[in-house]
Amino acid sequence: MLNNALYRLEPQAGETIDRAQTFTFTFEGRAVIAHPGDTIASALAAAGVHVISRSFKYHRPRGVMCMAGHCPNCLVQVGDEPNVRACQTPAEPDMVVKPQNVWPSLKKDAMAFTGLFSRFMPVGFYYKTFIRPQAMWPLFERILRRIAGLGKVNPATPPDRYDKQYLHTDVAVVGGGPAGLSAALAAAEQGATVSLFDENPQPGGHWRYALPAPDDGPLPDLAAQAEAHPGITVYPETTVLSCYEDNWLSARRGNRLFKIRAGAVIFATGAYDRPLIFDNDELPGVRFGGAAQRLLRLYGVQPGKRAIVVTANDGGWRIAAGLQAAGVSVVAVVDERPESEAGAVSHVLQADARVFWRHTIRAARGAGAVEGADIAPLDAQVRPQFIAGDLIVINIGLTPANGLLYQAQTKISYNEDRAEFLPETLPAGVFAAGRVAGSHAGATELAEGRLAGRQAAAFLGLAPAPPSAEITALAGQKAAGPKRSSARVDVPGSQKRFVCFCEDVTDKDLETAIAEGFDSIELLKRYSTISMGPCQGKMCAANTIHLCARHTGQSVAQTGTTTARPPLAPVSLGVLAGQNMEPVKRTALDAWHRANGAGMMVAGLWMRPEHYGNPPAEVQAVRERVGLIDVSTLGKLQLTGPGAPDFLDRIYVNKWQKLGVGRVRYGVMCNDEGVVMNDGVTARLSETTWYTTTTSSGAGAIFEWMQWWLQSGWGGEVHVTNISEVNAAFNLAGPRARAVLQKLTDADLLNEAFPYMHVRHLTLAGVACMVMRIGFTGELSYEIHCPTGAAHYVWERLLDAGRDFGIAPFGVEAQRILRLEKAHIIVGQDTDALSDPISADMAWAVKLDKADFLGQRPLRQVAQDGPAQRLVGFTMARPGLVPDEGLQIVRPTAAGPEIIGWVTSSRHSPTLNQTIGLCWLPAPLAGQPGATFTIRMNGKLEEARVHHGPFYDPQGDRLRI
Amino acid sequence: MSFKLIKQAFSSGQPPPMWKPQPLKDRYDVVIIGGGGHGLATAYYLAREHGITDVAVLEKRYIGSGGSGRNTAIVRSNYLTPEGVRFYDESVKLYGQMSEEFDFNVMFSRRGHLTLAHTDGAVRTMRRRAEVNRLQGVDSRLIWPDELARLCPPLDLSDHPRYPVQAALYHPPGGIIRHDAVVWGYARHAVRRGVHLHQLTEVTGITVEKGKVTGVNTRRGRIKAGTVLNVTAGWAGVIADMAGVKLPIATSPLQACVTEPLKPFLDVIIVSGSLHVYISQSDRGELVMGAAVDPFASYSMRGSFSFIEGLAGHMLELFPSLRHVRLMRQWAGLCDMTPDYSPIMGHTSVDGFLVDVGWGTYGFKAIPVSGKMMAQLIATGQTPDLIRPFRLSRFEEHNLVGEKGAASVGH
Repeated sequence: MLNNALYRLEPQAGETIDRAQTFTFTFEGRAVIAHPGDTIASALAAAGVHVISRSFKYHRPRGVMCMAGHCPNCLVQVGDEPNVRACQTPAEPDMVVKPQNVWPSLKKDAMAFTGLFSRFMPVGFYYKTFIRPQAMWPLFERILRRIAGLGKVNPATPPDRYDKQYLHTDVAVVGGGPAGLSAALAAAEQGATVSLFDENPQPGGHWRYALPAPDDGPLPDLAAQAEAHPGITVYPETTVLSCYEDNWLSARRGNRLFKIRAGAVIFATGAYDRPLIFDNDELPGVRFGGAAQRLLRLYGVQPGKRAIVVTANDGGWRIAAGLQAAGVSVVAVVDERPESEAGAVSHVLQADARVFWRHTIRAARGAGAVEGADIAPLDAQVRPQFIAGDLIVINIGLTPANGLLYQAQTKISYNEDRAEFLPETLPAGVFAAGRVAGSHAGATELAEGRLAGRQAAAFLGLAPAPPSAEITALAGQKAAGPKRSSARVDVPGSQKRFVCFCEDVTDKDLETAIAEGFDSIELLKRYSTISMGPCQGKMCAANTIHLCARHTGQSVAQTGTTTARPPLAPVSLGVLAGQNMEPVKRTALDAWHRANGAGMMVAGLWMRPEHYGNPPAEVQAVRERVGLIDVSTLGKLQLTGPGAPDFLDRIYVNKWQKLGVGRVRYGVMCNDEGVVMNDGVTARLSETTWYTTTTSSGAGAIFEWMQWWLQSGWGGEVHVTNISEVNAAFNLAGPRARAVLQKLTDADLLNEAFPYMHVRHLTLAGVACMVMRIGFTGELSYEIHCPTGAAHYVWERLLDAGRDFGIAPFGVEAQRILRLEKAHIIVGQDTDALSDPISADMAWAVKLDKADFLGQRPLRQVAQDGPAQRLVGFTMARPGLVPDEGLQIVRPTAAGPEIIGWVTSSRHSPTLNQTIGLCWLPAPLAGQPGATFTIRMNGKLEEARVHHGPFYDPQGDRLRI
Repeated sequence: MSFKLIKQAFSSGQPPPMWKPQPLKDRYDVVIIGGGGHGLATAYYLAREHGITDVAVLEKRYIGSGGSGRNTAIVRSNYLTPEGVRFYDESVKLYGQMSEEFDFNVMFSRRGHLTLAHTDGAVRTMRRRAEVNRLQGVDSRLIWPDELARLCPPLDLSDHPRYPVQAALYHPPGGIIRHDAVVWGYARHAVRRGVHLHQLTEVTGITVEKGKVTGVNTRRGRIKAGTVLNVTAGWAGVIADMAGVKLPIATSPLQACVTEPLKPFLDVIIVSGSLHVYISQSDRGELVMGAAVDPFASYSMRGSFSFIEGLAGHMLELFPSLRHVRLMRQWAGLCDMTPDYSPIMGHTSVDGFLVDVGWGTYGFKAIPVSGKMMAQLIATGQTPDLIRPFRLSRFEEHNLVGEKGAASVGH
């Protein structure tokens, strides 16, 4: 059990922990005591655990540095979850927390030796080694992969529930600090609905933890005012992740993802501490000012016992005073400014605190944790002096948290005076306020927040625009405020000085990379991998730009920035995925199929019966008696209006103007390249009503395709309605089909009254149906379309009526055999992304002489040149051999087999008791019935013969009986 | 440990620069527009194989800033058509020699490429590809869930997913590579052989006289050249238009993303055509993921939220244990799509103005072979057989290449 009293203070005003309760969790197997409200890192800090992780490349010890979720130094494994930010994640009872990237333990990490060899591992070292012998690279790579990486995925991670919520709001305010809260209130006062998002448990921003400046005055309780305002909804613990076009935001709270469409967005995202680059600048015990204050005020934890505060602003002095008040001994305050530039807060320190003006830190010293710091004057070449202490507070400046502003396409530029990247031009509907926009003092933050709130309301037309004088005055106020950031990003030194904590990139690495030619900021990033780790540049980007500018002799502004990419904070795939929204489409007869022994298969979005146990028997039933198949999955489109035939003429390769009412025609649809897209039948139900079926898998896409063309100017006087799910459809097929159907209707079904390729409205068993006499299976058959609600009833009646005739349901597999016996193609199986209908043996359908239609130009070319390849039937020379679909047809040559075609469909035909199939062959060969060719099967060449026309009932007599 | 690193370790100076800036001349024999992998490779092979070194590579931004630096670095040759397979197989072979040739480790990791089949139709297509591949001497075969489970243990092979996995096309030589290193390697060795590399040099116009190209205009001045090669992506049509050449290209964004680094989780590359996603793990431990091109034409590279949502959903269908893994960064590149999902390489109607464009989602895989072939074409004037199927005139001749099936999703 770790003693958590070591660093825990007396209760602090505003702390988040509930001291009345305690619980334990484990860290690397040891029990840690925590209170509700503690994060993993605060509980560890209370227990005096300084080292939490090991670094990516050199496996150096790392501890809590930012306490704000920005740096990578506290990433831990929590149970199944890798790369958890310990400083942001609430501790929970019995949590199992482990350090990452260490073996065997955090303290004795075997890979830490890499640090000793770092001179052999400069930036990009992996590009320069492991080259020869090449055969060794896979081994080296395996070792490299094991050393790299951080957390582990548990392959047995159990599933969890995630959900998503859409939000619509007039104004979205991102950040609940003083500026965000006052912005929200100002916008709401103008009548806007406001949603305020803050990543912390309570809004308040830096007011929650920072010691106020004396000129701030009493802090109004803006959080309570915002909570009470009816126009404002506060979303705590909600991290905004991204901002896309048109103020489309995403945010995460626990397992919930918010997708937010906002009329206007106010970014009041604050700022975070900027690191200073010095020797051992990431030694555990080096903490940012924000971290020291958060530990102290939010969690009642001493960030150390003996503090050395390194600063360049008055804030550092307030921190020193606050530490002192909490019982931390402040041994030194090191300020790079001359005393004359400091504010009034400077002289409240204990008597023995040493004060260094115009000094800075040169190095952190200590084995595994801070034991002291080397301090030196800024300019003079003097030997640094060592000051002992266990805490180094770095408070030399802030980086505006402008990631979302970048994502929103804000123009951001480097302000030399303030030594910060600040927004210059904001896009319409986007506003910035508070520390992200360069406000420092409390009064300016509040004023800027209120201004942004009013500007957002004005943008939405809810209020008059604030006068420009007010805006100018505020800008002046901001410029006059005290400087919070130093332009200095590094100090001289000789040891490891990390610019990037995620990837262990040092300043020397950057210098080397630039010397090697990677002298633009984007190339530098890619070569050094700086800003490409878990912090995504939050710690390193600004400092890198400064260093790059110095080494290339350019200004910071000329050097530019790398592109800020979403998401702002890493977000789990579970949260992004939400619930699995992949619905399964089931026909009205799904339950019947399953109850009657169907083997189901995935067919696009649908589930379909593949068979009912015995496909050959199902084929036999259709050929000899009668069968019934559920084809409800067909796409069904209704076209209405006098413009329908013109539209069909353009979409299909066939002609439609002269199709009489009551008739049906098979149609083929091509894309602009003349490639077959889809096929199906179209019936003319009345002068102006047409009914089209598409393939099951193509239904959605074809409807969209038609809409696209309708809306592109071909939509004169025609409407297309997708009624795919409105109607169910069955195909009643076989020589006894008419007899079965006749039992359910009085209508005349004889050939004269209802011929082949005609459509009739029939009442079947009392249900109004549309029946098309068509024949994919090659037998007398009726495709019955009825309302989906009546589908089960009609299906049962058909089976009842067919019982005396030996009716049997048949599935997709039997249908595939039946159609293959007729040599009917399946689009997408027998055709591919190059197949045109002329080559695919459907030249009869292509009417080149009509006005413009999709595919006309390329099809004219094919018609003129003749097809190069043709789709034809084949049979196998050797009985019983069924080549798999997809096998290649080859011609033996001296140089080995040459591919000349491929098998698209093949089956054993139970009707003909032989192998039949379809294949693509060179046109000359395909043109000779009986010609032989060879299919490559398992490495052997097997002989096959060209077959023309249907294998079964070539004249189609059975369709017309 | 390489000698260079030891030398660097004990030297006080910096290692030599990979490339040095040269003055911009007012004429070159060959001007290559576009400092991506294709342009730099063409320059390199022109110098190395044909002794043509009076070459300038003009780059609007920095080298590799386009598709070469935005792709997901998958290299494979398991294409669908014989012409595609032949072409990409040559590229894989050249990639295999690259580290030694450049003395620069491009980290080609042949970890095996698996394309999942979730439907019987997909199984048929995979078998077709496997057969075509093997007949061309490319290692590729159809495998079933038992073998798949051994190659990729975390993959969910149960019947729980919406589209259960039925089989896969296994292509052992397929791999990933450090894409930026490929660009830098070509740049370094092209420059060493005398090629001029001009970054931040945007081409603003192309001059044509009497049907023959005479040079280019840039933001830094006019350059005369008898041969101008357009090897741009995203703006290929815009550049071709400067010479009065129309290209059948529509540009769409293609997005990708990476997760935070993890210890080794995935040893192979997994592609699912049905779910429109693919994934591999980089040597640094990040999972690199992507999907199909955006379903609309656009030049926007901002990326979209719906992309990462859809991708995450499909990825968890394949790997449910990744639900805690955090996505760290998303980005987009531009893909110049042609009607037959195949590139356009070779001569145009303007004498001396050549193109190497239309690289859709497959340009990175072809960098070495296309550079080599374009260099040969420029040096000899003759179109090499390997790239003849990809000539611009095929669209007028109705002689398209049928790679849609293998190229559309399977990066």
